Amino acid sequence: MGKPLGDKVMTAREAVERFVSDGAMIGMGGQSIGRCSVALAHEIVRQGRKDLILVGCNLALSMDVMVGAGLVKRTECGTGNLERFGTAFRWRKAIEEGRLEIEDYSHLAMASRFLAGSLGLPFMPTKSMLGTDLLAKRRPRANGNAFEIIENPWDPEEPVVLMPACTPDVSIVHVQKADEMGNLIIEGFTTHELEMIKASRTVVASCEKLISSDDVRRYPDRTTIPYIFVDAVVEQPWGAYPTSVYKHYEHDEDHLRHYQSRAQSGGEPYDEYLQEFIYDCTTFDEFLTKVLPETRKNELRDSMLSVI
Amino acid sequence: MNQEEYTGEELMVVEAARYISDGDNVLVGTGLPMVAGLFAQKNHAPNMCYIVETGPIAPDVIPTPISVSDPRVMYRAVRHGSLLDALGGVLQRGLVDVAFLGGAQIDRFANVNSTVIGDYNNPKVRFPGSGGANDLASHARKILIIAPHEKRRFPDRCDYITSPGYLDGPEGRKRAGLSVAYPDIFVITDLAVMAIDKAQGVLSVVNLMPGVSIDQVGENTGFEPLVPSEVGSVEAPSERELHILRDEVDPGGAYLKRVV
Repeated sequence: MGKPLGDKVMTAREAVERFVSDGAMIGMGGQSIGRCSVALAHEIVRQGRKDLILVGCNLALSMDVMVGAGLVKRTECGTGNLERFGTAFRWRKAIEEGRLEIEDYSHLAMASRFLAGSLGLPFMPTKSMLGTDLLAKRRPRANGNAFEIIENPWDPEEPVVLMPACTPDVSIVHVQKADEMGNLIIEGFTTHELEMIKASRTVVASCEKLISSDDVRRYPDRTTIPYIFVDAVVEQPWGAYPTSVYKHYEHDEDHLRHYQSRAQSGGEPYDEYLQEFIYDCTTFDEFLTKVLPETRKNELRDSMLSVI
Repeated sequence: MNQEEYTGEELMVVEAARYISDGDNVLVGTGLPMVAGLFAQKNHAPNMCYIVETGPIAPDVIPTPISVSDPRVMYRAVRHGSLLDALGGVLQRGLVDVAFLGGAQIDRFANVNSTVIGDYNNPKVRFPGSGGANDLASHARKILIIAPHEKRRFPDRCDYITSPGYLDGPEGRKRAGLSVAYPDIFVITDLAVMAIDKAQGVLSVVNLMPGVSIDQVGENTGFEPLVPSEVGSVEAPSERELHILRDEVDPGGAYLKRVV
């Protein structure tokens, strides 16, 4: 069924109420400390959606918050870290304590799984992961083997790995621009998002700036994702904070370090973080008011503008 | 330069960069590999094409990015692109000459573990995981691994093979079906450079860092590396190289500590 041309603009609360359910497989946008879907992740935590399966290539801050809040059953990804800022500590702890199911892939393998989903195909071949424990130590899935190695039908000497398609129930992404139809414009790197979005049954996108559909139609070459894939648009400036948005603002090193120190210690300090910055806020704007004064906004904006 | 005038990290970065040739397509993450790539570009490989896994192709990188999502790795790129473009359309396609890896464990076959210490199903320590590393090790023609030389980091076998070296011997990759069956692999540490001996599929000490003895390498390696009858020595970084590294590549000291 096609998605209507009508107004898809709504609040984060409404979007999560309507499109994210318990047990959902969620495709996670962004990579590392760039353009993570933090506002939508906060809202999911606030609403306490549980038994979630989080999928992506690199899963970082928004994944770690959901794992830390005890809402995640499984992750399927290539990495859980924030590069220089360290491992995703709540994720790491949950794995070490056996509280989290994991499926490890290479980044290309995950992107290939999304590619299969985006093309309506059941699987995709890759030549990555051959010979390694990413295959040998992979646990079987509920519906059979987690992968198959077949011979290239045109060259029996050549083994190829088949990976099952990954089709999230819903993807959450934060982009630079969107219109009320749900057309999305992503600027800068796009990592795995193009394939993941198109492989998803539903898509909730927050954006820095809402633009007019006339503008989209005037410059159609700039549209990254057409509206037919998108279900909800949330206008949320600073919606990736404390991660960066290309052309808008840099990551906030201070807040990332603050989160990482709480996440690394766990226990009460971490619970306090969740309480103060997520549960005690009714919206993401309330969180921003607490942590991001105008002076800091200007610094992060200027810092971005100085390197583009 | 005398040994007191540069750090072990600076030495590793300068040496690693020497394995990059002008015109190479180089896939780079962050950390010391990024520093080595940028150094090569500024020092001797101006036509090197810098490729980032998040998508950017051939940026004029602004010092000093700290992430593959950093705007500094997108500056003046010819295309921003996607992860599938970079790791699929360029790397798996067979267009990457040199790729960098790091890891918690590197074994005698140059396999790399960046996933777990202990049992995978009952981990002692969990690390971030493969990321693009497995893809790089599977498809690049030359693999450079930068790592501090510690005994526990160089076990006989990795607890978990995240990224393929020669797997279990000279024909290991061929048997597994990897497209690049016999890549060059160099492990650059603060004590030595080890390279894959293609006849035996295991690491061999080819060069010693200035002032380091072969015994020191043996004492700090958990396996017995091959030692050829003649082992070379790594040339210390020149004043010019250190100037480029410190003043142009990492002026803020984001990655490289200075000599105190």
